[in-house]
Amino acid sequence: MASQAVPAAQPFGALSRAAPDIGLERRRRIGNLVATVLAGVATLIVLAALASILWTLLSLGIGGLSLHTLATVTGPAGSNGGLLNPIIGSLIQVGLATLIGTPIGMMAGIYLAEFGGASPLANAVRFVSDMLLSAPSILVGLFVYLLLVAPFHHFSGFAGVAALAILVIPIVVRTTEDMLRLVPVAMREAAAALGAPRWRVVVQVCLRAARKGLLTGVLLAIARIAGETAPLLFTSLGNLNWSLSLNESMASLPVTIYQYAGSPSDDWVQLAWTAALLITAGVLFINIVARIGLRGQDRS
Amino acid sequence: MTTMQPTPTPRLATVHAGAADAGARTMIEIENLDFFYGASQALKDISIRFPERQVTGMIGPSGCGKSTLLRVLNRMYDLYPGQRATGKVMLDGENIIGPQVDASRLRSRVGMVFQKPTPFPMSIEANIAFGVKLHERLSRADMADRVEDALRRVALWDEVKDRLRANATGLSGGQQQRLCIARTIATRPEVILLDEPTSALDPISTARIEELLDELKRDFTIAIVTHNLQQAARCADQVAFFFMGELVEVDSAGAIFTAPKQKRTQDYITGRFG
Repeated sequence: MASQAVPAAQPFGALSRAAPDIGLERRRRIGNLVATVLAGVATLIVLAALASILWTLLSLGIGGLSLHTLATVTGPAGSNGGLLNPIIGSLIQVGLATLIGTPIGMMAGIYLAEFGGASPLANAVRFVSDMLLSAPSILVGLFVYLLLVAPFHHFSGFAGVAALAILVIPIVVRTTEDMLRLVPVAMREAAAALGAPRWRVVVQVCLRAARKGLLTGVLLAIARIAGETAPLLFTSLGNLNWSLSLNESMASLPVTIYQYAGSPSDDWVQLAWTAALLITAGVLFINIVARIGLRGQDRS
Repeated sequence: MTTMQPTPTPRLATVHAGAADAGARTMIEIENLDFFYGASQALKDISIRFPERQVTGMIGPSGCGKSTLLRVLNRMYDLYPGQRATGKVMLDGENIIGPQVDASRLRSRVGMVFQKPTPFPMSIEANIAFGVKLHERLSRADMADRVEDALRRVALWDEVKDRLRANATGLSGGQQQRLCIARTIATRPEVILLDEPTSALDPISTARIEELLDELKRDFTIAIVTHNLQQAARCADQVAFFFMGELVEVDSAGAIFTAPKQKRTQDYITGRFG
């Protein structure tokens, strides 16, 4: 402030401009520097944690990654077993859960975005769906246990699929509604102005316009359930033997990690690391695909 | 579904005093139209005629009701609860705001083009076929002819004939808007409504669309809302000036811009407000 000059009398009509305030500029530069440094440090912390996790996974998991591991069924400790049944079990349960959960979630999302509006029913559905989205997944597992496991007195792949499908639904509901709401009103009106009935506007124009976003939502849901352990512990339990029957307990990668990681046997611990690496690589791959999909959405 | 070519009606043409061409048949006749958005009235006691195969320009400051009137003519307001119209809007002897009118069929007779180009996320060809398929069943060859005819009418054919299967969102803004006009005329309407169709376009694209209007009015009755007074003067045969939900004055374009009868019209076109 010390250097502030009193503006001299200006000729009539000229803009009056205060002399530059050196103190203010210095404070701005310092503030800017502090903010930049803090943001940079925070970024480094996040990246360091992520890099450390990935490095640990890679260095400890890659040793067990071989064709033998991928093609051999799990066995007793020390028997040189593989991960074939957890891999196939995870693919089956995640795949079926996605197939069941996606259409239900999408239709509910379409209802919320296109037909429900702010009606009491739509608000209730939206609220429940958002609650489900943030509910601990172990609760979903317990719920399915009471519904599909306890009455039949045995664990089953079906129950695992049901638990994962319940986790898929709210994610797909939310992305479907959000993506449909991004479709411009003008596009709906243009379709209606040609004489299209409402369902045609939704199916042929809005869903098409939002299709990349919808796909992204499904991929994110897959990424989410691929690593879920808690809901499977109560439902499909895990199975150390080869079984493709959905009516029996079924192996999966996350449950195998849970069972193997704490074991005293070194080869099981090694397999747990490899299984963790496989899940992480799979989820990373799906996320990359989803991101590329979103980028395409921005362009069109 | 039959095609939607205008059919002559026995009703004698009576044209609004002072309107553009006293010889033209009336295509749409509005009498005592009121329009409400919920409780607020957006149009007050509007009476106006749209002469067949002429361009009616609708001008006025923002919020004066000109776009609202346009959206009554194809019942676009039906999409939104709480919006309602009362009065008479006669198209070929039928009150189109009556409850018995099928909005979908009406919209095949009264097409609309919007301010921002709104190509659907599909191919150029599919964009045009979309509207046609809603109302007619055409063979593959007939559909191809219809697509070509519509694109030729908007002078887009030569620019896109080699990429009809390409996504329409890849076209330029001006091309997209001509595609939207092609999409509208492909359903063979009798009336085309244009809601500020060039306000998002560059001057060259605007000029092409204005030229197009001259071509189109040989076959269609046109109503265009515009904020561009020069555009109204260039394109319209009849011009209507709206202010605060009222129709202040309607007359031939020449009369409105050179000798308006109302002081409010004069103030507006000389730039004293709005």
